[in-house]
Amino acid sequence: MQQILVIAKQTFKEAVRNKILFIFIILGLITICGSVFMPVVGDGREKIKIVESMCFRSITFFGTLAAVLLSASSIPTDIENKVLSTVTAKPVQRINIIFGKILGFVYIIGVLLLIMGSVSYVLIRVTALKESSQGGRGLLAREKFDPVDLQIAGDSARKIGNVSWIGGGKEAAVWKFKGLYSKDKNDDLEIEANFLIEAKKKSIGKIPVKVKIINPSSARVLTESMEISRNKPLFFKLNSKSLDGSGELTVVVSPENPDDFLGIRSDSLRLFWGEKSFGCNYLKGLIVISTQFFLMVIIAVLGSTFLSLPVNILFCLFVFFCGNITDFMRDLSTVINIIETREHDHGVSAVMQKSNIFLIYLNHIIKKPILLLSYILPDFRYFSVGKYFIDGINIPGIKILMGFGYAVLYTLFCLPISFFVFKRKEIA
Amino acid sequence: MILPFAVDNLFLPGKAWKLSDDFAIKTEDLTKAYRSFWGRRKVLALNKLNVVIKKGEIFGLLGPNGSGKTTTLKLLLGLIFPTAGRAYILGKPTDDVAVKNRVGFLPEESCFYRFLNADETLDFYGQLFRIPRKERKLRIDRLLKRVGLEFARKRPLKQYSKGMLRRIGIAQALINDPDLIILDEPTSGLDPIGTKETKDLIVELKAQGKTVLLCSHLLSDVQDICDRVAIIDKGELQISGTIGELLSSKDIVELLIRNLSKETIGEVEMFIQEKQGEVVSIKNPSGTLEDLFLKIVHERRETGWDKSEMSD
Ligand SMILES: Nc1ncnc2c1ncn2[C@@H]1O[C@H](COP(=O)(O)OP(=O)(O)O)[C@@H](O)[C@H]1O
Ligand SMILES: [Mg+2]
Repeated sequence: MQQILVIAKQTFKEAVRNKILFIFIILGLITICGSVFMPVVGDGREKIKIVESMCFRSITFFGTLAAVLLSASSIPTDIENKVLSTVTAKPVQRINIIFGKILGFVYIIGVLLLIMGSVSYVLIRVTALKESSQGGRGLLAREKFDPVDLQIAGDSARKIGNVSWIGGGKEAAVWKFKGLYSKDKNDDLEIEANFLIEAKKKSIGKIPVKVKIINPSSARVLTESMEISRNKPLFFKLNSKSLDGSGELTVVVSPENPDDFLGIRSDSLRLFWGEKSFGCNYLKGLIVISTQFFLMVIIAVLGSTFLSLPVNILFCLFVFFCGNITDFMRDLSTVINIIETREHDHGVSAVMQKSNIFLIYLNHIIKKPILLLSYILPDFRYFSVGKYFIDGINIPGIKILMGFGYAVLYTLFCLPISFFVFKRKEIA
Repeated sequence: MILPFAVDNLFLPGKAWKLSDDFAIKTEDLTKAYRSFWGRRKVLALNKLNVVIKKGEIFGLLGPNGSGKTTTLKLLLGLIFPTAGRAYILGKPTDDVAVKNRVGFLPEESCFYRFLNADETLDFYGQLFRIPRKERKLRIDRLLKRVGLEFARKRPLKQYSKGMLRRIGIAQALINDPDLIILDEPTSGLDPIGTKETKDLIVELKAQGKTVLLCSHLLSDVQDICDRVAIIDKGELQISGTIGELLSSKDIVELLIRNLSKETIGEVEMFIQEKQGEVVSIKNPSGTLEDLFLKIVHERRETGWDKSEMSD
């Protein structure tokens, strides 16, 4: 254990004296502070959003870069410099070298997060104070509730990918919420809807919809007509009294005109009720991000046990890149799927609808490997918390747990391989 | 009724263990073939090396560049793994981590963490040995004084000259007060004074009862201090023994004659041809280790006998 700590301290010292760590931190701080001067269109909330997202993006970006570059280069550099041959000649188990290195990177990440995180926090707080003094909404950490169930009523709805298309007058989407509860009982409920729309006249950017809000226990029904615009979420508030303390709510949405279509995903409708502490939420975000950094370190260390320095850095960046576009990779294989089946025309452009020999080959040669790769490589969506901040949503505990669990699983998979390879590595 | 040899056999395991414990180092057919990344093209760096190094002696491993000296040392320290054969240090197999508590190693190129200073470097290695803080401080002071680096102890190693790095390397190898010290080219990069100091240090270590294995291609260094040497070339052991044994040739007689004019030499020669003359001293001729070294290497080169490059 003492040896692990010694190696960790040494690794940290090296990064500090190299000044690499501080270069990353300073670059990060520059971008963070630069966000204040970003031009903003919109109200105070928009400004806060920009600062929040810039802060989170730069912490993630520079943190990942630092974690990857430092941890990917450490062991190969030590081998190249022959330092590791003096360390290995001492009574040190090789497994302890790996543990020591990882712990050292954890220190490094910790310092980086501490500095960048606290500066960001202060900056966000100050911005929020300034903006909300002018009557804006300030910092949000709203509690979000997910529907327990989404049903499409009616028989002719079509599903493409994860989007269901419902037509006016024939079908309706029914969301059921249960267990709605908040400490701030008197706050209004907020409902936010993001739908895709397909109007008969393409030029029209708005379609009328009917929204029914039902309290199943008291059978009270509230019906409203609204207009949904393309690319703009629909907001409406609901008095918490309409819940009658039952904690249950059903929302029914359908287009009014038979020629209009609404594209619906399970997360198209979101319900917020109650406000949590922003500081706590911020901390939770940093924890999730640091879990992601840790995972990157584990992968970089794995790579560095058998790859040379430049190859390893490329490997890590590749993994990171792919890990962030898992969605894209799976979507790609879905798109290819559609070409194959050609069930429905919505959402697929005309070029894709033509059967094309090239695309068919693409399907067989590329689809399977891409899909496989997207499952093997780490999926960084488990750690994407930036959206929560920008939307002012409280990060649910399950998200943190999932990220944690995923990182632990991945680590348990990678570390033994690292040990195995490094134990047999010739330190020439 | 038990036969005597049976009794011997009965005690053989214990005896064998005791024997191997008397050796500081023992290799058995130690072989190393380096592979390329794809596992093809082998370089046979070491071929069936058998040497035994006794406790308390200074053993010199000699050979030209690329003969497999460093490979041997790395195998002994478990940095790389043998293709075939075995080796024991201080009675333990080379993959035993604990035995390294009693071993000191100076690598061929002294490369340490460049941003640490001498103090921190020694402290780092001392901590790897779990030496308590107080004791560590004492040893660091003593070692830095011993290798003459006290004046530069707070300077980062990246500002050190090659000779200074060599010295810190030696200090690092001694931080754990080892019983066995393995030195790869200890005097390379050192000036004549540094070379002399290093040699003195090695002799001093022997006086303290420690075993030293050093490898070098600088033969004069080795000749002065080594008790026994082994010469390897292209990964194969050519010869080994004490310096005295190796450098004597028993079938030649050498005359050392003083104060003799040229004519007299002729007369003496003639006289000797007839019968015994007045001889000042008769002894076995003593060449330098260098001569022997060159002879062995040249002979091999001329016969073109070369097994070290193989392909499959
Ligand atoms: N890591 C390695 N990979 C491949 N070949 C190596 C490696 N290290 C040494 N060799 C080869 O092994 C042989 C012996 O090298 P080495 O033991 O370093 O020689 P020496 O220390 O006696 O100068 C040389 O031919 C060298 O090229
Ligand atoms: Mg060498």
